[in-house]
Amino acid sequence: MAYTEQSDSYLGPCGIEPYDREWGVGVSAMVEDPSPFPRINRILKRYGQTMNGALDAERACLLTEAYQKHAGKPQPIICAEALASILRNVTIQIYPDELIVGEMSCPAKAAPVFPEFSFGWIAEELKNHTIDKCDVRTHDWFTVSAETERRLLELETFWRGKTIEEQALSRLSEEELKGSNLGKGVYLLNAYLYGGTGHCGARYTLLFEQGFMGLKKRIEKKLSVLRPDLLADIKKKVFYQSQLIVLDAAVEFIKRYARLAREMAAQERDETRKKELWQIAENCEWVSENPPRTFWEAIQLYHIATNIILIESNGHSISYGRFDQIFYPYYLHDINNGIASKEFIQELIENFFIKIYELNKVRDKDTIEIFANGGVGGPALTVGGVDKDGQDATNDLSFMVLDAHAHVRVPCPWLAVRLHSNTPWEFKVKVTNLIRLATGEPKVFNDEVTIPCMLAYGRTLEDARDYQVVGCVEPDAWGREYGWHDAAYFSIAKVLELSINDGRCLGCGPDCTRWKVCGGVGRRLGPQTGSLAEFKSFDEVLEAYDKQMRYWAERLISSLNIIDLVHQELKPLPYLSLLIEDCIEKGVDVTAGGARYNFSGPQAVGVGTVADGLAVIKQLVFDEKKVSGAELLKAVENNWEGYDALYALVNSDKVYHYGNDEDYADELAKFGLETYYKHVERRQNAHGGVFAPGVYSVAINVGFGLMQWASVDGRKAFEPISDCLGAVHTAAGSHDTKGPTAIAKSVTKLDHARAGNGTLLNWKFAPNCLTGETGRDNLIHLIDTYFSRKGMHSQFTIVSRETLLDAQAHPEKYKGLMVRVAGYSAYFVELSRALQNDIIGRTELSFD
Amino acid sequence: MKNSDVQIEGIIFNIQRYTIHDGPGIRTEVFFKGCPLHCKWCSNPEGIKGEIEVGVYSNRCIGVEKCGCCLAVCPQAKTGVLIVEDHKVAKIEREKCSNCGKCAEACPANALITWGKRMFVHDVMKIILADREFYRKSGGGVTLSGGEVFLQWKFARKLLLECKKYYLNTCLESSLYCNSNLLEQLFPYVDLVITDIKHMDSSLHKEFTGIGNELILRNIKRTAELNMPLIIRIPVVPEHNNSVKNIRNTAEFIMTELHNRVKQVQLLPYRQLGTEKYKSLGMDYPMETFRQVERSVWEENIRTLVEVMKSYGVPAVAGTTSKLK
Repeated sequence: MAYTEQSDSYLGPCGIEPYDREWGVGVSAMVEDPSPFPRINRILKRYGQTMNGALDAERACLLTEAYQKHAGKPQPIICAEALASILRNVTIQIYPDELIVGEMSCPAKAAPVFPEFSFGWIAEELKNHTIDKCDVRTHDWFTVSAETERRLLELETFWRGKTIEEQALSRLSEEELKGSNLGKGVYLLNAYLYGGTGHCGARYTLLFEQGFMGLKKRIEKKLSVLRPDLLADIKKKVFYQSQLIVLDAAVEFIKRYARLAREMAAQERDETRKKELWQIAENCEWVSENPPRTFWEAIQLYHIATNIILIESNGHSISYGRFDQIFYPYYLHDINNGIASKEFIQELIENFFIKIYELNKVRDKDTIEIFANGGVGGPALTVGGVDKDGQDATNDLSFMVLDAHAHVRVPCPWLAVRLHSNTPWEFKVKVTNLIRLATGEPKVFNDEVTIPCMLAYGRTLEDARDYQVVGCVEPDAWGREYGWHDAAYFSIAKVLELSINDGRCLGCGPDCTRWKVCGGVGRRLGPQTGSLAEFKSFDEVLEAYDKQMRYWAERLISSLNIIDLVHQELKPLPYLSLLIEDCIEKGVDVTAGGARYNFSGPQAVGVGTVADGLAVIKQLVFDEKKVSGAELLKAVENNWEGYDALYALVNSDKVYHYGNDEDYADELAKFGLETYYKHVERRQNAHGGVFAPGVYSVAINVGFGLMQWASVDGRKAFEPISDCLGAVHTAAGSHDTKGPTAIAKSVTKLDHARAGNGTLLNWKFAPNCLTGETGRDNLIHLIDTYFSRKGMHSQFTIVSRETLLDAQAHPEKYKGLMVRVAGYSAYFVELSRALQNDIIGRTELSFD
Repeated sequence: MKNSDVQIEGIIFNIQRYTIHDGPGIRTEVFFKGCPLHCKWCSNPEGIKGEIEVGVYSNRCIGVEKCGCCLAVCPQAKTGVLIVEDHKVAKIEREKCSNCGKCAEACPANALITWGKRMFVHDVMKIILADREFYRKSGGGVTLSGGEVFLQWKFARKLLLECKKYYLNTCLESSLYCNSNLLEQLFPYVDLVITDIKHMDSSLHKEFTGIGNELILRNIKRTAELNMPLIIRIPVVPEHNNSVKNIRNTAEFIMTELHNRVKQVQLLPYRQLGTEKYKSLGMDYPMETFRQVERSVWEENIRTLVEVMKSYGVPAVAGTTSKLK
């Protein structure tokens, strides 16, 4: 149904509703009953502030049975039958108080297992009992029943050699592996080597307009006109058949919830709850086939349709599109027709947020060190921004979504707010008030940079203006794009190391796991591009960096394309292909290029580390000649031991550092990053698109640091490299000393519009900087200026250093303390010590 | 900006970008070195002396055996001007030091630093202009502070003139302890004046700051008469000036002498800041023995005093974060 008429009724100004509360500054999540709705507070209490749950074997067992039963059929059919079997047979539950139903696995917070992607680590951790709480897993643990353990381990033999991980690894050559996470960590391929790709969002409006039955009719029509004599149509036939299998199962899955709700209603004694259950049953029954008619029906379908994507593949960062734009017609319709009150719709949104928080995933013990407390992982939801004509699109729901987060204070969904040059002031106030609440939400994106960037990568103006944010950072033409947004992380800091040491790692020695095939037999990791001890001019340093970058970028690209092909072969996604345009139209699975737009987005990490490293070399070795290249190299080789004065100097403000609005170092940051852009952007990928580089680290700068010896910027061995677009922070101190305006200027000297996969600058403020009207307004003006200087994206952590140190010492006092990690927020006390220290080390941008 | 008119040097001890409490919006604050007052609670002791000084942060010193850069460049090193204790540079024998700053220039660890820098107007302007986009968005600008700006009024005048060429909002934070004729040298280029009333009793004022309050109060009155937008601050220091009586006297002064021609009267909490800086300069902290009261106590105290002021009709507020009406 289409709603074109504007509301006549005056709904009242947003954000100052009677149930609104003063949120305060930096109070974090530590209040009782944050929601004005008793129902929501009851549900919140039930789930507690933790991500721990149970491991669930059902999905893995049903999937494996289906693979066995349908062996020999085309891969898309096997995958479709497996999903269908799960949807028809998996246990489902409806919980007290909830108005929206559906989940991946039950009970709430249970994590299903996805053996088709990677099973070795699960089997190993089950055998070593490191999935449950233990020394090597102090957070993100899952309880495992003996029965679950037995059932899962039974699957081990079947999956041996059949997983995406094993198939991909067998095709990656030594040349590709040596630079990967399995080698020396120039780039990390973990995400899509061990898991699904995810990182996209459904075209919900398509589903809402046509319903599952509408989609079914379209597919049947497509199927009916295929010509058996055309080669392309043979493939399409299998594709459409696989879609019909999952579509029918999806309908049945939703109907199962309708039946369960009816059964529960019949048993229910409480009259109010009985009515709610009846309504839930009716909602599910209707939307299982038809377009939703009310806000409640729409949000029910939205939630459950997304859940099926999550059950089909374990790719994370399945994102929810532009919530305020998708739902506004339903909101207006309900309000204007007296179907629902604004309060009830607010309550539904809050319930929906907690439903996302109930979802959970198990990750291996190494991954959780850098991606702690991730939950389902990356459920971004976007509000604000411009409409298809470039006009402001902010509406009541944009405000209500921000209120909902303030009321539930769970780290789901990951809120993204789009701002543009005409965003209304009152919305900026609401956004800033939420930032000041200090849960780390929301992130803010700049339409004025993001839209041109998306256009430059070939999207239409209308699609560019309609972007959502996926996962942590990535702009995406929602429902029309398969962006492979989190393809890999690439350490340009490691590239600099190899550039100044003739292709050899610094710290090379018998301790290295690769010693016997590399350094020990006179080999080196990368090509020989000269040594800092020999370079005659700074230009030679830059030239070496360029050559190393090219070499490693090529290996990154070939590795990712190989993994891409394996996903296409082994794990087509017929259900997701229902909801991403133009898969049905083209008759091509989303993994194989069915989407309208296709990209692969690997991120550069370590911009600050490279900038400061190059600045030290340029200034001290070549300009001021204070130290020879050979000696500087030796100091780093020795992890700065015995070079106290030099170590202090490179960490002092006597050396130019990126982040201080000094062109000397900022220009080198630009060079360091643009060399990466140059060798990555627009290369062909394996699913019909091109590579689009990004610049952010999430928390992987910590992981990269753990794999890298000391570096020339004044970093000691194994310390984190610089995060996202931020400045360097070493144990000796922060390299940015001139405050937020200087950082904003340094960072915007880099070209964000070339980073098709997104950029990020993390800000950290002490709460006392943001108090009062002046504190609020100045934060707005800071963001505005950063954006008018063409910054793309910012996230905020607002908490004092003292608080964080105290939280480390007394974790029990700070159970609810959420901080922004990068891309997402997590409970601080559940992060690893290394990551906690990294967060504490970010400069507090004091206003006074 | 190479014209000779701007070639006057000033001594500046800090330029702080992105300050938000001294005037509206996002600002850059320029701190002039040298001050005629010696307030007991001063938290910027490096701003008191009018010349460049070297400060010592011994805890940052790497050790003279491992480094020794300072001893190698100090022209008076042989006289023992740099006092080494426990292998680290601990202090400076001030009588022997010429404050040439060579040691600080050489020190890689910032254990030795120079307080104060001679700058031309265009040096300062370069830093000020770096943030002008932020001023424009936020309604901010430049604040001249100190030390005492009027001790270098000629430099300040040139700097303000230069700021006005770029239509920047300017704010002057001053004790107003200066020859009254000088006010009109700067005021034409100033958009907002911020000054203190530290005590209404002149003898106590003298005890706490080294000078009586007569000239200051006269200049505040003159400033109001000139219709300069004015913010008055009261640093509320327990046991010194936080009596209700003193606040009442201040309010009466504002109502009767200034006819309440003030934008805002801000009551600020005293915080024990700057002790490290005193130490680095070899100075004793005058409030060393003062026992800091609990936050809840001073917050309550300030709130009470704000109410007292308001009862006179004075636009009093606690802290600096309330918008100007």
